[in-house]
Amino acid sequence: MSGFKVNRRDFLRVLGWGGAGTALAGCDMPSTVTLEEGKEDVVAYFMPEEYVIPGVGVWYASTCTQCAAGCGVHGRVREGRALKLEGNPESAVNRGKTCMMGQAGVQAHYNPDRLTQPLLRDGNALKPVSWEVALKKIAEKTADIKSDRVAWLSGTVSGHQAVLINDYLNAYGSKQHFTHETINANVWQAVARDMLGDAQPVLRIDKAQSILSFGADFLGTWQSPVHFAAQYAKFRSGKRGILIQAESKMSLTGGSADAWVAVRPGSEGILALGIAQTLIKRGWAKGDVPAKVKDMLAKYDVGMVSNATGVAGDRIQRIAAVLSQRAPSLVLAGAPVEGAENAYDSVAAVMLLNVLLGNIGHTIEPSVQFAETRMQARTGGTRGVVEFAKLAEAKKLDVAFISHANPVYSAPGFVKMKEALGKVGFKVVMTQFPDETAMQADVVLPLYSALEDWGTHVAAYNAGSASISFQQPLMEPLYKETRGFGDAVLALLKQRKPKEYAAFNDYYAYLKASVTNMPAAVSKDIKNKDQIWNALLQKGVLETKGNVGKFKINAAVEAVAEVQGDAQFPYRLLPSARLGLWDGRHANSPWLQEAPDQISKIVWASWVEMHPITAAKVGVKGGDYVRVTSAQGSVEAQVYVFSGIHPEAIAVPLGQGHEEYGRYAKGLGVNPNKILSPVFDKKTGEVASYATRVSVTKLDKSARLTHLGASDTQQGRKLVSTIPAAIYRRTEGEA
Amino acid sequence: MSFKNILENWSAFRKDAEAGGHHKYDHRWGMAINLDVCTGCNACSTACYAENNLPVVGKERFEKGQAMHWMRIERFWDDADKQYPERGASYLPMMCQQCGAATCEPVCPVAATYHTPDGLNAQVYNRCIGSRYCSNNCPFRVRYFNFYSYYETWAEPLNQQLNPDISVRDKGVMEKCTFCVQRIRTANDKAKMENRSIADGEVQTACAQACPTGAIVFGDTMDPNSAVSKLWAKHEVKRGDYLSKKPKQHPEKRGYRIFEELNVDPSVMYLERVREEI
Repeated sequence: MSGFKVNRRDFLRVLGWGGAGTALAGCDMPSTVTLEEGKEDVVAYFMPEEYVIPGVGVWYASTCTQCAAGCGVHGRVREGRALKLEGNPESAVNRGKTCMMGQAGVQAHYNPDRLTQPLLRDGNALKPVSWEVALKKIAEKTADIKSDRVAWLSGTVSGHQAVLINDYLNAYGSKQHFTHETINANVWQAVARDMLGDAQPVLRIDKAQSILSFGADFLGTWQSPVHFAAQYAKFRSGKRGILIQAESKMSLTGGSADAWVAVRPGSEGILALGIAQTLIKRGWAKGDVPAKVKDMLAKYDVGMVSNATGVAGDRIQRIAAVLSQRAPSLVLAGAPVEGAENAYDSVAAVMLLNVLLGNIGHTIEPSVQFAETRMQARTGGTRGVVEFAKLAEAKKLDVAFISHANPVYSAPGFVKMKEALGKVGFKVVMTQFPDETAMQADVVLPLYSALEDWGTHVAAYNAGSASISFQQPLMEPLYKETRGFGDAVLALLKQRKPKEYAAFNDYYAYLKASVTNMPAAVSKDIKNKDQIWNALLQKGVLETKGNVGKFKINAAVEAVAEVQGDAQFPYRLLPSARLGLWDGRHANSPWLQEAPDQISKIVWASWVEMHPITAAKVGVKGGDYVRVTSAQGSVEAQVYVFSGIHPEAIAVPLGQGHEEYGRYAKGLGVNPNKILSPVFDKKTGEVASYATRVSVTKLDKSARLTHLGASDTQQGRKLVSTIPAAIYRRTEGEA
Repeated sequence: MSFKNILENWSAFRKDAEAGGHHKYDHRWGMAINLDVCTGCNACSTACYAENNLPVVGKERFEKGQAMHWMRIERFWDDADKQYPERGASYLPMMCQQCGAATCEPVCPVAATYHTPDGLNAQVYNRCIGSRYCSNNCPFRVRYFNFYSYYETWAEPLNQQLNPDISVRDKGVMEKCTFCVQRIRTANDKAKMENRSIADGEVQTACAQACPTGAIVFGDTMDPNSAVSKLWAKHEVKRGDYLSKKPKQHPEKRGYRIFEELNVDPSVMYLERVREEI
């Protein structure tokens, strides 16, 4: 499609054809809705744009970019405005469903604090300039740059956006693309890669009869929550699987557990090894493990494990019994385990349970290999941002590009990202919002919102099928001086390689050409190149051909080191993730700020969660302010007392504490990332973000905690009635 | 309730539809919410904000109990006496229960809240004078009063997201969950134009459509073949007068309606949460 020229009008025409067939059941017709029964006819007194019928909503397929899960969405557009997002039933990720962050996608688009013009640094201030000036400045600064002195730092990117970043860095001969996600599953993936030979195995929660989750918040913040939630609904029907959640702070998933087991923070891996030892000792193990591992396990008898983890011995044996009886089972490890200083070994211990229980191949399946590796999601963790900062700190970078991430806010405090960026010669930040990182930039390129932009996405967690999800604009850009991410990178590429990219007028042309010219090996659907494009946009997803991989099990698991205490800092800090504000990127959405935290029900604030035992020790009650101090600094917030947390842990949720980021986020609450200690998991190099030790001191200040609900208990009323599973099995359950 | 009704046939009027009372329903929209798969994730609540032009009130007003969340997730701890909440949290999605014998309706001095022929408790915004009697009388606490002109708080261009299918309410007006009446009316119009009745599943409320676990099922409880009717029947929950009702044939079936003993005839059936003893 070289030289394909498209203007807005044509583009909307294409959209119209693409979207007309996407009309959903329940799609709008001219309506005369009032709450009264009477009818009234509304006649529009204007000539509408093409494909705009006053009063008629049209649905377009696109992709949600609120997190890296890559859910397909349908956007409702009326009179040229995007109004509402629903799940795209065609998407294998979310099958027509959405989470709260997906619902708030429209608020990221209509956010009043969006950047509307490129900014250029002039001394201490950022001054608005035109795109031409901004791009010219970048061209100047990058003219004779050496390959190892340029880097790109991003959040999760995939599809053709990832290809373009890659191509741009290649134009310098650079490979320095760092990725950063505070909420990630990097250690899980590393362990899966080493033990199964597949970094992204497909999890079948729906097939499991019992699940033991070590802090894996798969219904809230782990990998692909909407996908897992649908699987969870199946898991809970029919025979009704058992969910056991072992963690030191109740997560959203823990709230739905049959049994919530409080574990001493950092000892999850030891608990896993204790269960493994019980399985072997009782002869319940189905899978085989090397003799060396069996020897290593010998010391993890129930007494020792109970001591180390704080979980009663009979409980450990009972969990082992449930898992072996209710087969197939599934054992998962999430953020608190992946963030411990013994992260890799702990997660490996968890994976060992899957091997012993014979789950490999049953509830853990090999992933489908995606044919176009360049389009695969480039996810990150915390290692990338630390490495990037080291380079910057050592003055080894002349130019840095930052997109899809806000590292000045989200990097651990000890990284000193702001200071490190100060040592980079020239920083280009591509973002939608005036965030903390943008404020440090030399050039800020304001981007389209997800509802205005083009793109292709490959889900970070591959939900059992390799597919490409399409992102198309739902409406005209709100601001003239913003551009699409792809357009911006394409403009940069043209500076480096004018000839190669001259054929593409814009990212739309590039994308269309790239997709329709994908080899047939990628998808059987790609036959008629002219028709395929519109069909893809209409459907929103392209299933690609992919080979199902094979597992190669390596169960050579090592012992898990016990975490050490510290008299000066008696508690472990859990920077817990929230479905909603996520890693802080959604703190500027008023809906998500006002949506109560699922566990504490607190709104518009940060808080410090602690167990009643801890609260008594510190001498505080709910609503009192405390100072949480680590070796790296301190934060102050109100106390929320509840018993769903281990007495040796305190939790400060992620998401608040923005110094910039618009009117809804700025100045609200605290950011626990800023007081993390520089502790790392040795084997993966990831920051052990759950390994910071803190002390808590009472402050002479107290206020009511703003939260939903007047009562924490049902006060004897039949509001949420609970029955034992035995009754369920009698009346509805399958044998 | 008109004076004519009272004079003509008071006894028939006092009976509900099942007992031969003279309500003539076209539909009776209802819900089934499975608390065993509700994870308390807030997707429904946020979807409701997006669909129904609900204002965000901010921290101070939230503290005063002025939040406008038509659909809210209540969270209870049932193991308050134990060291740990070992059975997790109890989540309750709570919104207007669209009662068949609603306590909010008869107390409205201006008949701003009334019963529609499809079984909804409707609120006529431009008739409402803000007495708040209805809210006082609602046992579920699901009516929300506009203490302020919240439309002034939608910072440009957030206001462009407002759903044109329904109005933005002004100060002094009571509002609440409508079962997404705009979606019902749109589907009704479409069905009428095509000379057919609404098919089951054609209308979904925003909350039901978003719910990641499919815990919320919405439909016409008068249509015996609808998914929601089947669930009501399976769990032996029937509409009508609580006091004269026979006990369930299988008392262990999970269906129940909250505060049914108040005889308000809610249109939302909840399915009990299940927990395994480990």
